[in-house]
Amino acid sequence: MKKLVLMFVLSFSVLAFASCGGTDDGKTEIVFWHMSPVGSESYSGMKTIINDFNDSQELYKVKGVGFSFWDYWDKANVAIASRDAPNIGLSTIDDVVSRAQSGVLYNISELMEVDTSGENIIDLTEFRQSQMDFSTYEGDLFAMPFTATTRALYVNLDVFAELGLDESDIPTTWSELETIAKMIDVEDDGDIQRLGFDPTYGDATYHGWLWQTGLDFFDEDLNPTLNTQGHIDVLNWIVDFNTDFTRSQLTSFGEANQLLGLNPFAAERVGMIVGNDGLYQTIINSGADFNYTVAPIPVPDDDGIRVSWGSGFSLEMYDNGNDSEAEKAGSYAFYKYLLSEDVQLQLGEVNGWIMAHESAMDTYVVDRPIMQKLLIEVDYAIDKVYVPYAPSWHGNDWQPYYTQILDGDLTPEQGLLQARNNYIQKQENFDSVN
Amino acid sequence: MAEKKSINKLKKQENLIGYIFASPWLIGIIFLGGFPILASLYISFTNYDMVSAPTWIGLKNYTILFTNDSIFWKSLWNTFYHVMIAIPLGLLVGIILALLLNNKVKGMGVYRTLFYLPNVVSIVAMTLLWMWLFQPSFGIINEILDPIYKLFDMEPLRWYQAASSAKMTLILMGLWSAGGSMVIYLAQMQDIPAILYESADIDGANWFQKTFKITLPLMTPSIFFNFIMGIIGGFQVFTIAYIMTGGGPARSTYYYAYYLFDKMMTDNAMGMASAMAWILLVLVLIITAFALRLNKRVVYLGEEG
Repeated sequence: MKKLVLMFVLSFSVLAFASCGGTDDGKTEIVFWHMSPVGSESYSGMKTIINDFNDSQELYKVKGVGFSFWDYWDKANVAIASRDAPNIGLSTIDDVVSRAQSGVLYNISELMEVDTSGENIIDLTEFRQSQMDFSTYEGDLFAMPFTATTRALYVNLDVFAELGLDESDIPTTWSELETIAKMIDVEDDGDIQRLGFDPTYGDATYHGWLWQTGLDFFDEDLNPTLNTQGHIDVLNWIVDFNTDFTRSQLTSFGEANQLLGLNPFAAERVGMIVGNDGLYQTIINSGADFNYTVAPIPVPDDDGIRVSWGSGFSLEMYDNGNDSEAEKAGSYAFYKYLLSEDVQLQLGEVNGWIMAHESAMDTYVVDRPIMQKLLIEVDYAIDKVYVPYAPSWHGNDWQPYYTQILDGDLTPEQGLLQARNNYIQKQENFDSVN
Repeated sequence: MAEKKSINKLKKQENLIGYIFASPWLIGIIFLGGFPILASLYISFTNYDMVSAPTWIGLKNYTILFTNDSIFWKSLWNTFYHVMIAIPLGLLVGIILALLLNNKVKGMGVYRTLFYLPNVVSIVAMTLLWMWLFQPSFGIINEILDPIYKLFDMEPLRWYQAASSAKMTLILMGLWSAGGSMVIYLAQMQDIPAILYESADIDGANWFQKTFKITLPLMTPSIFFNFIMGIIGGFQVFTIAYIMTGGGPARSTYYYAYYLFDKMMTDNAMGMASAMAWILLVLVLIITAFALRLNKRVVYLGEEG
């Protein structure tokens, strides 16, 4: 009997301890979560980058763990919440402050100050201040920009040529956009065969159009606005853009593309579309062979502001409250390595992302004309503000009203009022428990 | 005396071995089941964003939900609507299928398998398939209904794309998997003694009389079982809306479980989400308890005495 109990206890202990980390060669293990899982195109490139670091180290060994983009967020959120986060990981740059406030991130500024290694020193001048502002909390950096994204107008030049237009005719204002879009439209027996442009397609957003007029959803104190004539005018412009078609036709056209797994621009079903830098990769992957270019998103005719919604991943060092000094030092060594110019260039090549390091990207885009143009747009990109009481203010909170307005179930005035009231209610509720 | 001691020792040893063998389940129920349940109860009284430590706020989450959260009531109504229509309809379709398939027709096994098949299809695949079928412009359902639309000079239904029909579309889609309950009904039908039907035949009863006087009364235990399970499952409806409609249009398919999910995943309000989970639990408990009280009245439990 005693033997049986002993065996059970031993087996349980073996299983319990089997999951504990540690490397065979006595090096301190650093865990890095990325988005290049086994089987992905970028996996081997990411592995090479990690192996190169490991080969150069005597004290540390990085273990890379890749998750797909879609799986990453839930896993990261749960791991951070349970103080079981990896030593280093990626996250969204717009809400770094919320994590910094919660004490789950290491203070990068402090680590930079005491860094006397002389290796891979982080050169802050190589990173955009607009991005670093998002990762600054109480004057200190708690993360660094890792990638950058932007949005631009993708234009099918073959379609332009078909209509006797060329690159010089690419619209720069809203009215020009409307004129040229109508020239591209093709309808057959009630079905849209080709659409010139739609301000709701691709990565175009209401707040993106608002920003071009100098308006936003919230004021500086994060109180919801949305109740000005300017907000209504922008919505009316969106709603009225394609009045030649019913909303049902437009929805069906968009859904047909979605169900077929097609990007409407890559499939040449839309002449112009607002897309982010990821669309460039999508077009390459789809094997499309038409001529296209990217340009700044057209702005309002009067006092339009050249701005687009851009974001990016932040590179974060997680403080789980039980890290050894060796882990912390090793993590920072790898952290700096990932932000160095050469590695940022490699990461761009591996993932096809626009990385945050400006010089690395200048080298990366030399023989990529489309990326060169996208990189210019990054400088005009700003990120959405993080609203603690409505983190998904542009998504879940806004979309139901936006859809109803587009469908004609609510007028812009009604929709904006209802959306604003919803934000106010959320704000009240948030404030009452915080 | 010594013999009694030795028996007690043996009993203790046997008990211990029993516990050891049951330990994987016991550990599971305590740590993987019991602990999270109790933890969520505690969290429901806190403000917890899943990153900072939870802070105690008493009943505040519950108060907010009941008094100052319009989407909470909207999602609750959507869920009630779904339960009130989908459950009776599901029972009806399941029973009809079972009655139809409780015949000695050649190839009946194949038919039964075909009707059960949707239950083994991934709900994601099933939902995507139905999105194609219900697609207003090029879906096959509207193609089939086209002559009717023309006859009555009406606009084609927009199914899941219109707030007025989206909930009903999801309910209709859910009927595709009524084969699951059908199997349970069929099993119970097989248990009904043939002698009862023989007696009815001798008395000259027709198919309807036999169905309503013998089959259905004797099937009430399984109907009741499916009813209770349907209520519990119906209040948790989530996946089809998540995939097919994203809760829209106009939050018409924004069910309670969906809102709970969003509270946790997008608003980072784990305390509020936990409070919602407990409200749902209590709600389902009350409705189930009420339904169970009907047990003696509507379920045939055999002749007494």
